[in-house]
Amino acid sequence: MQSFVLSSEQLNVLFETLMAKMPMMGPKQRSDQPGFYHFDWLKSPGELVLHYTTTTIPPKKAFFPPVETMFSFKLGDPPELTHIIEDTPFVLAGVHPCDLAAIKALDDAYSVPPADKRWLANRRRAIIIGSDCLPDEYCFCTSMNTADARLPCDLFLTPIDRGWLCEVHTDAGKNVLKNIQKDTAQKKDIEDASQWRLQKAEKISTKLNINFEAFAKILEAGGLTPIWKEIADRCYSCGSCNTTCPTCFCFNKYDEFDTTLTSGIRKRVWDSCQLPEFAMVAGEHNFRGERWERVKHRWHRKFLYLFRQFKRPYCTGCGRCSRACTADINMADVINQLAAASEKERSHA
Amino acid sequence: MPETAMNAGQVSGFYMPELAKVYRTCRKETDIIIEAGMHSGRPLGHMPGQFVQVSVFGYGEVPISICSSPTRTPDRFELCVRPVGGVTKALYNKNSEDWIGIRGPFGRGFPVDLTKGKDILVVAGGIGIAPLRSLINYIMDKREEYGRLIIVYGAKTPDLILFTSDIEQWENQPDAEVYLTVDEADNSWNGRTGVVTLPIREIEIDPARTAAMVVGPPVMYRFVAMELLKKDMDPDNIFFSLERHFKCGIGKCGHCQLNDLYVCHDGPTFRYSDLLARTEAIEAWAPEKDQD
Repeated sequence: MQSFVLSSEQLNVLFETLMAKMPMMGPKQRSDQPGFYHFDWLKSPGELVLHYTTTTIPPKKAFFPPVETMFSFKLGDPPELTHIIEDTPFVLAGVHPCDLAAIKALDDAYSVPPADKRWLANRRRAIIIGSDCLPDEYCFCTSMNTADARLPCDLFLTPIDRGWLCEVHTDAGKNVLKNIQKDTAQKKDIEDASQWRLQKAEKISTKLNINFEAFAKILEAGGLTPIWKEIADRCYSCGSCNTTCPTCFCFNKYDEFDTTLTSGIRKRVWDSCQLPEFAMVAGEHNFRGERWERVKHRWHRKFLYLFRQFKRPYCTGCGRCSRACTADINMADVINQLAAASEKERSHA
Repeated sequence: MPETAMNAGQVSGFYMPELAKVYRTCRKETDIIIEAGMHSGRPLGHMPGQFVQVSVFGYGEVPISICSSPTRTPDRFELCVRPVGGVTKALYNKNSEDWIGIRGPFGRGFPVDLTKGKDILVVAGGIGIAPLRSLINYIMDKREEYGRLIIVYGAKTPDLILFTSDIEQWENQPDAEVYLTVDEADNSWNGRTGVVTLPIREIEIDPARTAAMVVGPPVMYRFVAMELLKKDMDPDNIFFSLERHFKCGIGKCGHCQLNDLYVCHDGPTFRYSDLLARTEAIEAWAPEKDQD
């Protein structure tokens, strides 16, 4: 892997050059809530904030928007259907390692044949520029092996004394840097970046007390219903955890007529397994009608079913669900609580 | 059917329906049977037990199992719909010459190849007869390839019995055994009353050479399973087709997740033996360790 050094001015030139060619989405400060950030289309490179803790909504929305139009229809004999999918290239900048790991996880999940071609088509449009992060008390990426995730980014930025260390991860990333003034990275620059990451890792206080495989086995063994019920007693089934999760990928779809009542669109929208009607079928039979069953399903899906299928938990340790939870249900705490309860059960047996 | 699978996959990955035309409808008070064909002229290429995603533009899309047999009208297919939600109510109002959207077929249907030479016991509850009618007519058309054909069908009331003309034909076949029952009889009814497990009890089967294909409301499966196990059937030879509210049909949207399985893609037909270790397969059915 090649690495270069860009001064802050040179990095600005890079973003200006890119934005002259294509739209760019990146983290920017929320005008309604200073100190909070969100991924949005940038009007100028100056709006981009690279030193930010996290966003409420993850950058997966660049490829899988919370609401998107899949096609439009016009009633007639026969009706006309128009497939709607963007094809303009864009840049997604300022993506933290945990969110890069999440995009990779969704690449894998959506690529399983038959693939979700909407996700794949949107992914092909993007150049991804990752950047190192400022963790807070909710982050536990060091327990999830995502603190230093890079794939699938094209370039990755880490702050150093001389400006930014810029790692080149793909040919597309190399092309982007072609006419940009830059320095070759020296040993000192690489060490600076390592030191920065070390300090970042040290700041992370939330940790899991169990490894993925052992936790999957606990879930597989079943039981622990009192714990699930205790957690569920606090849950409001609001779905905030799903909405803020970078690896959740469930969805629903619905049609909308326009005012002519002869044409309209079909939309796809993020959905949540925590909502009571998610697993409901005709006749109001509900396969996860109890709140504790839905809470349990969330952990099982992320740490057992998808873990077994893709050899990685569908959690990156970003802490968004814990931050968003109005009932203070904390992802890491729940895992540690289940691990402790299982240990206790075993020692009594 | 590799070509069909590819064809369905090509459009389904973008969730784009193909246009289909309604040729004929048969509307009763409680349901409608719609006969349709793809606008492109391509055969649907389904197997018994598969489903399609049916669009009524402006109303939405719902999964409906295909109730016709691919052996009969390759360029047409039939859907049996009960008007319960917004989309199914819109489908109920469709007439011939109207347009609908189709994605699919999706899913693993009944194991018609695996069970060749076996006695087939079909157990249908309510609208569960729809996908099984496809299977029954498929077997009728390949009668020499299978052993006994035993059909048990239970409806709530006599007027809710579907496919009455098919049933008449089946009853007239010397090599089919038909047991029709209703939960609540009325004055017009002089047949059996009671749930589907009652006729199953009467039937003598050879458990070693029988395969059971079961479709019904969630509550029916466990009682049918208990009866079949009492007859010494192996859970490997009992096949359940499950209903879920599929949104995508390709194992992505998450709505049909049954533990580690996606009902739309890994099913909807499952061996009972594969469901035994899983929770959430059938309503209120969980291994003891997950109960209170």
